[in-house]
Amino acid sequence: HHHHAHHHGTSYQRRWFVLKGNLLFYFEERESREPVGLVVLEGCTVELCEAAEEFAFAIRFDDAGARAYVLVADGQAAMEAWVKALSRASFDYMRLVVRELEKQLEEACKSLAACHKSPRRSSSSGRKRHLSNPGLLPVQEKPTTLENGYSTWGSGNCVAGGATCSDHDEGQAKPLPLPPRQRSAAGSATGSPAPGLPRAMLECPVSPETICFSKLHNWYGQEIAVLRWEWQERQNRGRP
Amino acid sequence: AVLKKRLVKLVVNFLFYFRTDEAEPIGALLLEHCRITKEEENVFSISFFEEPERKYCFECATEEQCQEWVEALKRASYEFLRRSLIFYRNEIQKMTGKDPLEQYGISEEARFQLGAHRP
Repeated sequence: HHHHAHHHGTSYQRRWFVLKGNLLFYFEERESREPVGLVVLEGCTVELCEAAEEFAFAIRFDDAGARAYVLVADGQAAMEAWVKALSRASFDYMRLVVRELEKQLEEACKSLAACHKSPRRSSSSGRKRHLSNPGLLPVQEKPTTLENGYSTWGSGNCVAGGATCSDHDEGQAKPLPLPPRQRSAAGSATGSPAPGLPRAMLECPVSPETICFSKLHNWYGQEIAVLRWEWQERQNRGRP
Repeated sequence: AVLKKRLVKLVVNFLFYFRTDEAEPIGALLLEHCRITKEEENVFSISFFEEPERKYCFECATEEQCQEWVEALKRASYEFLRRSLIFYRNEIQKMTGKDPLEQYGISEEARFQLGAHRP
């Protein structure tokens, strides 16, 4: 959490900024309970800008009519950290990265499966076990929400730092504190209980195909699709 | 409570709602810290942790549409994306021994915030 100054006219307003996901909240000061305002970081670019002050950067929106936010950081490192964090904050960017990693994981699974294709593999019994093994839970392909749409919005994903906002004040320098250490368990970085992850898949020695969650998901998905179609057919026939 | 006809639009982690003949939304719900619940037929609700008794109910045209909305909304939070990211990153790291986020030049700091997987 950092103080930046926002430029409007000639003076800056010192504000306490908190980045949560794609939302940049700003507070009067660090101890304030309620934010003074919020910037939704979608459809914007974050870039260095020309200003009388050093370490200035701007958040500009694609919509020409929208106002730009000029912020001043405490120093070079802080400015760089903020620019990086803010430019990666958008939902769209996050979604892009997730989709890319999804593809990478699939490819890693495929190449791993290809590696396992050796003549000495005892395929038939392995496959049978794969198909009927109740231990393989294909329920999740991703860490879904905890239960019934329960999602968490923990404090763990905050970037600490100050930035300035649209008011007018004097800027002041404060060092950027290190972000808090996260618990390393997958899915519990926010401190909330982790949803059940399909660890069983990677550990299952049955067949190389079972390693890839997406394959399992597809396989079970097909079975469900067939069952559903059959059920629908029965329903249709049952009607007078 | 009276049902009002609204145009509802999901944009990233915001659910905007409009009066059907207007271009500007009346309001929006930020889909974080919330619970999406399938209610009776064609109906789902959104409630927030800070105010669990208050439910925003939505009635869809069909049950199928309702299911689609529920699925979409459950995945609409930034938090969901973040956890997916952490999950994929860990899985890839386990399989390949490499951190896939390096290529994005995501700094050590940012990686920290994503819940860096410390061996």
